[in-house]
Amino acid sequence: MVLELQKPRPVWQIMFSTHHTDVGLLYLISSIAFLFMGGALALLIRAELFLPEAQLIADAMTFNRIFTVHGTTLIFLFLLPSASAVGNYFVPIMVRYKDMAYPKLNAIAFWMIPPGAALIWLGFADFTWYATPPYSIISAPGPAADMWIFGLKILGISSVLGAINFVVTILKCKHPDMSIGQVPLLAWAFLSSSLIVLVAIPTFAAALLMLLTDRLGVTGFFNPAMGGDPIAYAHLFWFTFHPEVYVLVIPAIGMMYEIIPRFSRKPIFSKSSGIFAFVLLSIVSFSSWAHHMYATGMSFTEKTVFMLGTLAAVPASGMHVFNFVATMWNGRIKFLTPMMWAIGGIALFFSAGAGGVANAAMPLDFTTHDTYWVVGHFHLFVMGTIAFGTIGFIYYMFPYVTGRMYNETMGKVHFILSFVGTVLVFFTQHVLGLYGMPRRIFDYPAIPEWIAMNQIATVGAMIIGVSMVIFLINLIHSSAKGKPADIHDPFGLGGKYYYPFESKNPHH
Amino acid sequence: MTENEHVILTSPARTGKMMIIMLGICIVGGAIFFGMWDYWISQPPPVVAMMSGADDHGGAPAVATGKTITQDLKFVQTPDGFTDLAFNALTGEPGHNPTINAAVGDKIIFNVSNQDGGFHAFGVTADAEGFSGIVPGSEVASATAPLQKGESETSEFVPAEEGTYYYICTVPGHRELGMVGEIIVGPSEGPAEAAAPTGVSHDFTLNFVESEDGFSDLAFNALTGEEGHNPDLVVNSGDEVTITAANAGKGFHAFGVVAAPDDFNNALWGSEIASSSAPLKAGESGTTTFTAGAPGTYYYICTVPGHASLGMQGSFIVE
Repeated sequence: MVLELQKPRPVWQIMFSTHHTDVGLLYLISSIAFLFMGGALALLIRAELFLPEAQLIADAMTFNRIFTVHGTTLIFLFLLPSASAVGNYFVPIMVRYKDMAYPKLNAIAFWMIPPGAALIWLGFADFTWYATPPYSIISAPGPAADMWIFGLKILGISSVLGAINFVVTILKCKHPDMSIGQVPLLAWAFLSSSLIVLVAIPTFAAALLMLLTDRLGVTGFFNPAMGGDPIAYAHLFWFTFHPEVYVLVIPAIGMMYEIIPRFSRKPIFSKSSGIFAFVLLSIVSFSSWAHHMYATGMSFTEKTVFMLGTLAAVPASGMHVFNFVATMWNGRIKFLTPMMWAIGGIALFFSAGAGGVANAAMPLDFTTHDTYWVVGHFHLFVMGTIAFGTIGFIYYMFPYVTGRMYNETMGKVHFILSFVGTVLVFFTQHVLGLYGMPRRIFDYPAIPEWIAMNQIATVGAMIIGVSMVIFLINLIHSSAKGKPADIHDPFGLGGKYYYPFESKNPHH
Repeated sequence: MTENEHVILTSPARTGKMMIIMLGICIVGGAIFFGMWDYWISQPPPVVAMMSGADDHGGAPAVATGKTITQDLKFVQTPDGFTDLAFNALTGEPGHNPTINAAVGDKIIFNVSNQDGGFHAFGVTADAEGFSGIVPGSEVASATAPLQKGESETSEFVPAEEGTYYYICTVPGHRELGMVGEIIVGPSEGPAEAAAPTGVSHDFTLNFVESEDGFSDLAFNALTGEEGHNPDLVVNSGDEVTITAANAGKGFHAFGVVAAPDDFNNALWGSEIASSSAPLKAGESGTTTFTAGAPGTYYYICTVPGHASLGMQGSFIVE
């Protein structure tokens, strides 16, 4: 490997190493594994919804268990760890430090993921990734539900440890000659998202404990029978998980900031606006959590405040999109796989954002609340933007990690199929939501429009499934037998750019 | 540049090792996962047992006797509003702070009304003084949101233990000024007026059934609208009744005969099968044999909280 200690070592030494590239590799492999596991559950869900009534999945509870673990896995075990993988590989190099600030803490943060994942996967809880109270308190069967709570607790601590490490590495360990403004945008992305994690996660950590003690009957925070309020849980949960959306999307945008200038063979159009937009996003991410809760009977004033708070994210997101477009403008763009994923991700980011603006308008929200519109909207974000950026970056890192090139044709086929599939599934789901189909259901009435749109969505999902199989084959085959990459310019871009494996720019 | 000399290519052997590790984890994990698929969802949350059990104030739940005592209480006070406060009549007048005699398990219903000019609230407590320790469910209004003049409300109290309880005005100070009466609770009389054992026995079989989604309709034997839905069970007082209940649904269920459908904590006559904290799981069944008590209309229900109100209840008529 290239981004690695320069000496081949036995596998167990890599597994129990504290070096940032080794931990990054562990993050990367486990997150890709969970991408496929969570994706398989998604295909099961879509296959079940191909037709009304129960076919594949025995009953509603099994269906609930499947989509609970689908959501939990892809958010906490794919998106977050894959961002950590990229951060682990690149942040120390970008700030020109020998490792992360706290290497052992870094390894601990990774090794908290397997037990957390085991608790979530073995238990297979059924109360949705939101752990809906009071259902999760008085009805959700244990020990699955308790295992989920402990699993999330462990993963939350892991995120916080990772975030502390990134913040300290970037702020305190950057090279003394490097001003904070010179820190590359990808590292800035990790700085902003880590700061959000540090502020947001403790709330959910508290809510999880409260949920657990409520289940045990010791307290009644969210248990109406004991005088508690489930809406309070909604506030605590979304105070963490609306900002968490930005925790996921900001690193993905940072990855695009790495890919787009390089493949456009032009410097980034405006680095300072990128930094500004990251900082702005991390602040306004805390002003919009209750837009998930318009339908809970908030006053008009509250709804208006959170509507404006939500719209405050638009200028910052728009700055990123304009920055990308302006960077590509007049560039000599080379359309290799990572670039295609990044551009596809920007296009879908824009679409998802447009849907989000419509959705932020609270009068419309009452129509779309709890329908497939919402499912389409956030999946367009997490799949269309975040996963696209991440997968593009996995292709981009591939030669630096393995020393070998991936198969370009397979990479492009993967992108095209995924893009088509994503549009088919999630655009259709927006319309399906407007036709009134509620989310989280396992059987639906045989309304012709619903059946047609569900079938389109299922076909789209299967197309994504096929593309992901191609991805898997490409990863395995190319890492073993791919042709050795020219490590100084694996993508044949030429020009005077420094490469990620070098700790400083050789052209200076 | 010399970095190329240090480039380590991933070898097929190394990729293979990674695949073996990953697949190994998946196979071992998968075996545990599918082998224990049902175990992980086999226990209801502990809070359910607590909610269906006793509250902290009343000790163990009383076995309802089915007997109901209704008591009208009226807040009265002297025109100056402070020299004498009482229920129903001022000190020295007939009907002043009536003493209520009840047995453990009797249901006492209070019709509380405020006829005078002050603010009052009502509650039952076991404490000999002060205004705390109010038994949940027995309170009417509160000191901070009291009954206004002309308002009236109802509450109920089922004594769980023998002894003396006090019904009081819970507005601080009012009890000391005289708004207090006694409830003297004697030993449970058991099911009142049950006939002597008749020697006749009945066998009933009931199945817990659920609609497809598991929550929109719950019933015994057949869903709402179908034949055989929640059949009426009719027996004579003193008959020996054997009930076999089988869980034909997917959720957790338990059985009991109760005085009122929402009174799922208090199964009568030892008629319970399983309980909400140790319920019948899908496919399990249980049997109970008991002697029908005093004549009246009772209900057989699923004693898991909430299930009776979703439809798992039928009439159990004792003649």
